[in-house]
Amino acid sequence: MAYKPQYGPGTTQVAENRRKQMNPEYKLEKMRDITDEDVVLILGHRAPGSAYPTAHPPLAEQQEPDCPIRKIVAATEGAKAGDRVRYIQFADSMFNAPSQPYQRTYTECYRFRGIDPGTLSGRQIVECRERDLEKYSKELIETEMFDPARIGIRGATVHGHSLRLAEDGMMFDMLQRCVLGEDGVVRYVKDQIGEPLDRAVEVGKPLDENWLKAHSTIYHSLVGTAYRDDAEYVEYVQRIHSLRTKYGFMPKEE
Amino acid sequence: MAKIERSQKLFLKALKEKFQGQDVESETTEFYKFGGLKQSPRKMEFMKASRAIEMDRGISMYEPERCHLGGIPLGQRQLMTYEVSGTGVFVEGDDLHFVNNAAMQQFWDDIRRTVIVGMDLAHQTLQKRLGKEVTPETINEYLHVLNHAMPGAAVVQEHMVETHPGLVDDCYVKVFTGDDEMADDIEPQFLLNIEKLFPAKQAEALKAAVGKSMYQAIHIPTSVSRTCDGGTTSRWSAMQIGMSFIGAYRMCAGEAAVADLSYAAKHAGVIQMASHLPARRARGPNEPGGIMFGLFSDIIQTDRTHPHDPAKASLEVVGAGTMLFDQIWLGSYMSGGVGFTQYATAAYTDNILDEYTYYGMDYIKDKYNVDWKNPNPDDKVKPTQEVVNDIATEVNLNAMEQYEQFPTLMEDHFGGSQRAGVMAAACGLSTAIATGNSNAGLNGWYLSMLLHKDGWSRLGFFGYDLQDQCGSSNSLSMRPDEGAMGEVRGPNYPNYAMNVGHQGEYAAIVGSAHYSRGDAWSFNPLVKICFADPSLKFNFAEPRREFAKGAIREFMPAGERSLIIPAR
Repeated sequence: MAYKPQYGPGTTQVAENRRKQMNPEYKLEKMRDITDEDVVLILGHRAPGSAYPTAHPPLAEQQEPDCPIRKIVAATEGAKAGDRVRYIQFADSMFNAPSQPYQRTYTECYRFRGIDPGTLSGRQIVECRERDLEKYSKELIETEMFDPARIGIRGATVHGHSLRLAEDGMMFDMLQRCVLGEDGVVRYVKDQIGEPLDRAVEVGKPLDENWLKAHSTIYHSLVGTAYRDDAEYVEYVQRIHSLRTKYGFMPKEE
Repeated sequence: MAKIERSQKLFLKALKEKFQGQDVESETTEFYKFGGLKQSPRKMEFMKASRAIEMDRGISMYEPERCHLGGIPLGQRQLMTYEVSGTGVFVEGDDLHFVNNAAMQQFWDDIRRTVIVGMDLAHQTLQKRLGKEVTPETINEYLHVLNHAMPGAAVVQEHMVETHPGLVDDCYVKVFTGDDEMADDIEPQFLLNIEKLFPAKQAEALKAAVGKSMYQAIHIPTSVSRTCDGGTTSRWSAMQIGMSFIGAYRMCAGEAAVADLSYAAKHAGVIQMASHLPARRARGPNEPGGIMFGLFSDIIQTDRTHPHDPAKASLEVVGAGTMLFDQIWLGSYMSGGVGFTQYATAAYTDNILDEYTYYGMDYIKDKYNVDWKNPNPDDKVKPTQEVVNDIATEVNLNAMEQYEQFPTLMEDHFGGSQRAGVMAAACGLSTAIATGNSNAGLNGWYLSMLLHKDGWSRLGFFGYDLQDQCGSSNSLSMRPDEGAMGEVRGPNYPNYAMNVGHQGEYAAIVGSAHYSRGDAWSFNPLVKICFADPSLKFNFAEPRREFAKGAIREFMPAGERSLIIPAR
């Protein structure tokens, strides 16, 4: 029988949101338009319009070893071209940001190819070939995975995920890479590493509280859904723990 | 699991002091208006001191307004003070870095410079091989000689250099025995009096464990163990012990029996505070990585002075352990650099872990009738998986909810590793205190980690997550190189060797299982007695209070050098 992913347990809206983001058959809702050039500016890895720097010649131009794995796994466009490996990193507020670190990693693993995600408490990084990265980044910023106020694109000095929000609803960023304008639009004035941009990059208006609460992927008893209220989820984690305790990593039912 | 009512929030006082004039339950605040470093008197002191140093040496130094993020200094949000838990003392974070805190330094100095050496082997050699008489009088005379020699004085030689007593005043030797009659005959200045130092029940158990044997609790000079290393302690002490026996018992300095005394003092009769480490970590004995968790929980003495509060006793171990294992061992010995102070301090500041742990105490009393204020082995709950899961889940959910309900609390513990260590510690301590089983406590720790990770979709830093996501599978394992009883695990246990925010808490979980049973010791009765000594520079019954004293610059350490340097 073919494996059919279940994308996690839970009976609450949070659990359902998590499953939707992970499930590649679910089409993520597009919330805003970001141009390719704007993505390149925020990432800060190359100047818009410049050629992709390479780490090796295109695969077609070099002798590939006779490797069965290479016959099974098709190279991504970035790998074919020999692009460098670069990154995008997100900081997600615990106040109902629509995605959260492990959720991002799981989602990216289901939806993208050729990636190397890293998951921490205050940030989540994903690395891959540069042209693949730009494509994935665009999806991560344009869709329901992103909110301009509660999620920051931050290469370093990411501090903010657990802090109270500013009075205007923005998550703290020591470098103030993005600012909320009087017109209600958030603009990046620095790239993700904190270098000032020649022109501001618009990423749209912050989503409202009701939308955020309805699309959140974090349990939170004050501003969203209490973890305690998802008994199925808690029981599932207890079960995993019990099976690992008794059987290591070859769990079986008693 | 079911939430229980608990109106007392031990962390509220700290939050209100840290965030003065603000609603500690509000989700919003203001940023970028605090004047950066100027909000911290300590940082301003650093800048002033640095300017003077630069003028003196002509080399630049502390320049945060230039060097931090290319001109954006710390303090774009409010820089917080911290209350050292259980003390009511508020300090700046900088004052809890071990370089800035003399009490923290002395805590580790006092452990590293300590060995325990049995006297029975030496006495047998003296009596059986050399025909010497060993009596309380000769032992007292030997102790006079030894307390002359141990700091670095000559006893049988001519024309020898010696150490200045003013530089080594922290060095001395006391003895202890389980034999009341013998103890009565030892000069009080040299005796660790078990009867007087311990509650009656603990004293009885300790004396029975020691029996008629006699042990020397030896503390070599702080300056020596700092200049050399922990491995020096047994060597320095053994050399001075050998010379003292020669002097006190009128032995020939070169006779073969001296080798027996040396062997006993250096190897057969010595108890190190820590075992040596493998080559890739390259440390001798008496260095932090070799301290077993059971032994560490015996070093801390709060269960002796507060026998009816196993939670407090455990929280003191957390404070002491995170300071030693996170700030000093992993933070500087292993990782290098300025270290991991704020990982560690989260566990012993602002009464946050204290609140979560006492919630656990209320829960085990309410649900399992564990009379935790009256430690005894009889009311402990059988450590089934169901019980572990129940206690750890409830304590963990409560902790998560507290962070959520008080956004300033979340801001206080702004890093996921801080929160993970604190929540898991509360779960582990509650489970261990309920069951009296250290491995059950460790298992509770790992369930907390999994619940935390799935609830908030985050945990700690990259490496942090490794051991915590596979810990369920080894917490009850006894297979070599994969598992062990909690008591004999330590900072170099395979799966524990790399991560901050764990080892002090593990030590406390191990200790708490014994404190809750009313045991007189966790792993080694001799170590328990040795660190009950009121003459030690550091008070091991109140490590958090001592650290607070260090932070406000009221702790007087050993290691004096002003006698031999120019006056300022």
